[in-house]
Amino acid sequence: MKLAPQSIPYRALQKVSGVVLVIFFVVNDSARLGLLPAVGLAGGVLTVAFAYEVAYYRRYEYELTTDTLDIRSGVISRREREIPYRRIQNVDVSRSVIQRAIGVAAIDLETAGGSETEGAIRFVTPEAATHLQREVQRLKRGVESNQEGESSTAPEGPDEQLLFEISPRELALVGALSFDGRLIGLLVFVGSGSVPVVSGLLPDASAMALSGVVIAAVGGLVLVSWVLGAGVSFSNYYGFRLSRAGDELRYERGLFRRYSGSIPTEKVQTLTITDNPAKRALGYATLTIETAGYAPGQGGEDGNQAAIPIARRDRVYDLAREVESFGDPAFTRPPRRVQWRYGIRYLIVVSVLTSVAFGVNSLTGVDIPWYAAALLLLAVPPAAYLKWRHRGYWLGEDHLLTRNGVWSRSVKAVPYYRMQNVIDRRSLFQRRWNVATVVADTAGTSSLVGDDAAAVDIDTDDAVTLCDALTSRLQASLNDRRPRQAAFEWVDTEVVSSESVPEPSDTEPESGSDEVEPASKGTVSDSGEKPDDNDSGTDSTETDDSGTDAVSDGDTAELGPNASERDRE
Amino acid sequence: MTTQRLHPRVRIVWILRAVLVATVLSAPVGGAAYLSYLPTWAPLVVGGVLLTLGTAHAVIRYRRWRYEIREDALYLDRGVITQVRTTVPLVRIQHVDSRRGPVERAAGLASCVVYTAGSRGADVRIPGLTPAGASDLREELKRLAIRAEGEDAV
Repeated sequence: MKLAPQSIPYRALQKVSGVVLVIFFVVNDSARLGLLPAVGLAGGVLTVAFAYEVAYYRRYEYELTTDTLDIRSGVISRREREIPYRRIQNVDVSRSVIQRAIGVAAIDLETAGGSETEGAIRFVTPEAATHLQREVQRLKRGVESNQEGESSTAPEGPDEQLLFEISPRELALVGALSFDGRLIGLLVFVGSGSVPVVSGLLPDASAMALSGVVIAAVGGLVLVSWVLGAGVSFSNYYGFRLSRAGDELRYERGLFRRYSGSIPTEKVQTLTITDNPAKRALGYATLTIETAGYAPGQGGEDGNQAAIPIARRDRVYDLAREVESFGDPAFTRPPRRVQWRYGIRYLIVVSVLTSVAFGVNSLTGVDIPWYAAALLLLAVPPAAYLKWRHRGYWLGEDHLLTRNGVWSRSVKAVPYYRMQNVIDRRSLFQRRWNVATVVADTAGTSSLVGDDAAAVDIDTDDAVTLCDALTSRLQASLNDRRPRQAAFEWVDTEVVSSESVPEPSDTEPESGSDEVEPASKGTVSDSGEKPDDNDSGTDSTETDDSGTDAVSDGDTAELGPNASERDRE
Repeated sequence: MTTQRLHPRVRIVWILRAVLVATVLSAPVGGAAYLSYLPTWAPLVVGGVLLTLGTAHAVIRYRRWRYEIREDALYLDRGVITQVRTTVPLVRIQHVDSRRGPVERAAGLASCVVYTAGSRGADVRIPGLTPAGASDLREELKRLAIRAEGEDAV
């Protein structure tokens, strides 16, 4: 299949329009040359770009074969790339305002390999994009059911079932509640250039006037960044809808640039439910779904990756359970003694702040109330308590759930089956309190920025049992998925039997960890904040569905790379 | 497989690295002393302190480092300031490298790097192996990873 013909002029202009403008004005303005050479030169550049894009269009070809998506491209250096359907994590389509006007769409295919998008198709018609999206899903299922030997289970073109649609009220809330602290930093950075100017205008300003200006400036910054953040998230999540089609979640969003994409549920690595005090007070939360490709919905430029930008808390939990049925979490908190650890940590911060204020006061002669910083001492005990209170972990039937963060609290659910490593980490200071942090590393994207599911500051004994429990549960979940698979693979009785041996011994560490939980002193089972489980009836059917998908997903015959490609000059 | 320790010569590699770091870090102090902003003993003291710390770190690091291939996982225990215990399930191993840097070659050592699809512990490096030991470990891990029947890792 070919690209959309409209993409030729669009791509050409997109690439060289800036250069052409610069050339035109520079040449036109120079004394010796005039309008004619300027037009000629700019036209020449445009022609070359146009010719290149025509060649690109003629060379570019993509094809849906029975089990791979083949892309042949390249004008000067040719490239042939084959992406097996089973390795495709997400298919995303985006259309900016201009692209919508001329009727083209950009497709991005993500696999888990590599740091960049594996298949970027620029540009096809919107119909072709939707067709490709649907076909990839259908063929993916076809590949899997063929390997299972039961093709009858695959229904043709599953009907879409709407899971979530953003209401105007929720959209307004997304805008209002998405306060981005990073924007303040940016504005301060930009605004700091004007500080000398302002201080030049106010040569004899008193300290009072100066602090008044500072307060007004800070207030202005907060307001501006809030408005900017609200605008960005409003345009990002305008018209958001999430639906389920068979084993895929599909989303659509965006005011100026429309995004639509698919998230295969069997590729889900981590679910994250976040809220902040404002959302908590109003009873709202945000859900993020992560696959190994990248976090879907992430526009690339803003790092927004929410699968559900905002919804009522119980609704978010229901939707999350629909994707991964993790049940009703009852979190185990870290031991109470870590409150002291946090208290001491905050105490150090406060004393540093106070001494800095004092130093400024006594060295520069600017009369600031340095002792005001010491008032923060009053906030230390509640802060330490809250930090402790909001931590916790829970070992569910098939998932590890962790909870962290006071201000922006996040609950992460990691299926045991998706864990890659288990890391037990104890810093020098943690060892003094006899606590450790256990991290369940997945192939998800947010773990790249160190945002893994982590049980922070739990007792070292608990940490050891937790590590053992996690690894044995991973093995158990692998064993659960294996027997059905062994039926259609080569018969290797020795391997199969040696694999099934650890199964009985697996249960021991698990029951051991269960015994430890009530025995560990100071841990409080957190049942007060359990979300309402309205939807447990439908959950079980959903899990069965995704379970079989994931089994067929785990096919050992193919250990090759995600995308094979051949380059030739 | 019982718990394994690293080859004692790895301390030499790490101490050499500490010497390098100490030299680099005390160079600006040396420059300041040369321009007589600081007394001449300052770079010596700074270098000496850094070297002592680095050497102690290397020695303690060697004492702490342990690894073990268990029935279904590779288990590593290491770290001086922050102790890290990593469990890498054998099913999750994507590929295994053995590699030898220039300093390691000089000391007659090699290391083995285990890759998983995870992001944080994506490459786990076991240093301080003999060249034969490194390729043995690589082969062993490869064999175990295949036996463990790595399914679709992601």
